[in-house]
Amino acid sequence: MLEQALTALKAYDWGQDPKTLSPIDEAIVASHGDAAKRRELEDQLGAVLTTADATYDGKQTACRYLMAIGSAACVPALAALLPDEKISHMGRYALERNRAPEAAAALRDALPKVSGKLKIGMISSLGDRGDDASVTALGELIGEGDAAVASAAALALGAIRTPAAAEALSKASPSAEVQPAVTDASLACAEALLAAGKKIDALKIYKKYAGESQPKHVRLAATRGMLACAGKQE
Amino acid sequence: MPTSPRSSRRDFLKTASAAVAVPYIITSTALGNQNVPPASDRIVMGGIGIGNMGGGDQGAFLGRGDVQYVATCDVRKNVRENSKSRIDKHYNNQDCTAYNDFRELLAREDIDAVHVATPDHWHAIMVIEACRNGKDVYCQKPETLTLREGPLMVDAARRYARVVSGGSQRVLEDYQGVVNKIWSGEIGAVKSINVNVGPLSQACNLPAQNQPDNIDWELWLGPAPWAPYNEARCSGSFSTSGNSWRSYIDYSGGGMTDWGAHHFGGATFAIDVRDLQPAEIVFNNDNGHQHLEFRYPNGISLTHNKPGQGNLQVEGDGQTRAPKPVPVYKGSGGIYGDFIDCVKTRERPFRDIEFAVNSVALSHLGSISYRLQRSLKWDSAAQQFVDDAEANRYLDRARREPWQI
Repeated sequence: MLEQALTALKAYDWGQDPKTLSPIDEAIVASHGDAAKRRELEDQLGAVLTTADATYDGKQTACRYLMAIGSAACVPALAALLPDEKISHMGRYALERNRAPEAAAALRDALPKVSGKLKIGMISSLGDRGDDASVTALGELIGEGDAAVASAAALALGAIRTPAAAEALSKASPSAEVQPAVTDASLACAEALLAAGKKIDALKIYKKYAGESQPKHVRLAATRGMLACAGKQE
Repeated sequence: MPTSPRSSRRDFLKTASAAVAVPYIITSTALGNQNVPPASDRIVMGGIGIGNMGGGDQGAFLGRGDVQYVATCDVRKNVRENSKSRIDKHYNNQDCTAYNDFRELLAREDIDAVHVATPDHWHAIMVIEACRNGKDVYCQKPETLTLREGPLMVDAARRYARVVSGGSQRVLEDYQGVVNKIWSGEIGAVKSINVNVGPLSQACNLPAQNQPDNIDWELWLGPAPWAPYNEARCSGSFSTSGNSWRSYIDYSGGGMTDWGAHHFGGATFAIDVRDLQPAEIVFNNDNGHQHLEFRYPNGISLTHNKPGQGNLQVEGDGQTRAPKPVPVYKGSGGIYGDFIDCVKTRERPFRDIEFAVNSVALSHLGSISYRLQRSLKWDSAAQQFVDDAEANRYLDRARREPWQI
């Protein structure tokens, strides 16, 4: 049954009954805690990605399964999808939730090789992973000419929320279009610094955004943050 | 983000209402009366996603004298045009602006608050972006599609001190018998409560159909994986059995989150754990009948689909307790009035986003347990499953570029 389902997966196309793939779902559940079976299944799913005549639907569905069970072993097959505009997202779909360091490395490696929306995708996944190792690269991207990419990089730093991310944001010189993303990300970092007891560092950020030139809701956020740093109720 | 091509309606109205020399350009609607405040004092609103639920929400806000509804947004051309017509007809003017892209609506500085009633895969992105733009938000339930989205929505609301209300009116209005029985102290300390709801959402592999011209399909899909247009894929039908987006995992948690937001919301309100999440999800399989037990850190048990138990069937220890006052909506006009009142007073609404997130978290935690067919331990402070890397993969999903939260 599983062999048939894996064969069907290679030719899977829109309109076919998802139940034909049920043995794969069942094999994933049944192999919990059995590393050898999981690895075998992972290799079989990874093979769908490298099969030249496998359908798009088959490959994207394989990525969904690899999101659930992928290890370092399937990273090369997934990494090969990242520059492909049609299926890049599904490569990230599997890699973003894979905690193997190789998965993060694949996303970082792809970052300078893609542009536009695909670059935003890599940035978003690195941010959502909380990938500390990409902080420097993300900080540099805030100066990127593409405002959408620059904004995405700022927001990703806000998702990472480490002191290093806060530092990268503080050094950025964003354009006016990118500034709202830098502001939001900086405030997110300030919250993390405050929660970690780094009140002086958090206060520095809040003071920067408390001025009259800031939008009202940003001033409000900064003022509340400053009060919190002082240990006062809002 | 693009800025609004329109000047601030609020500023205009303030100017106009002061311009006594030209009273003929001020309608009685704009001036207000004994029951309706002048337009300059109303909450300026827009709506995003004007389908079955969004249309109802829009009608409720439009019917309020303390709201000035100025913008509508939907990726379906006919829906947004009908929506604009409805609003313009209501105010007897042509002032409402219709948008295809929600970002343009959220960038308008004159809008105070928005309601969001898109499919669930858009909720987190829109609510967070609205908060970043200084808007208060009323978001239809289920407020989240994944567990990770919830705390990020709460963060955004708290960061900018925004009023963000979830959209289940049933939590307060449908389960009053159970709520009163518990809050009156009649049954003593609660030991357990049961919720019956389902099903889980399913994989979608519907065939491609010709894409009509009147829908922006890329924007409908948004952060979800790419898929070809199919009428059933994007239908707003309330069905969860394959004829609507509510059936499918990329856009919804199925009945488990759709009605689950009501039932779990009602149950957590009844047993007064709206500020908590469970520490353990126990998976049971009794001869093929699968059911769950959510164990809260305070010892209360919330069961799901427990055999022989009715929906919101509650068990207490029988030791009568002192009654507690039952929380109610603020303002007037049900959950919509509660939201608008809180927009004015800056208090937290009845279904504050944090309570909403906690109740929908039960749906998500339960769905993951069913999908993995095993029990799970949940660290609510860390928002992680305990020592369970496999389960933690289901906390979130990569969003299709260029969407990000």
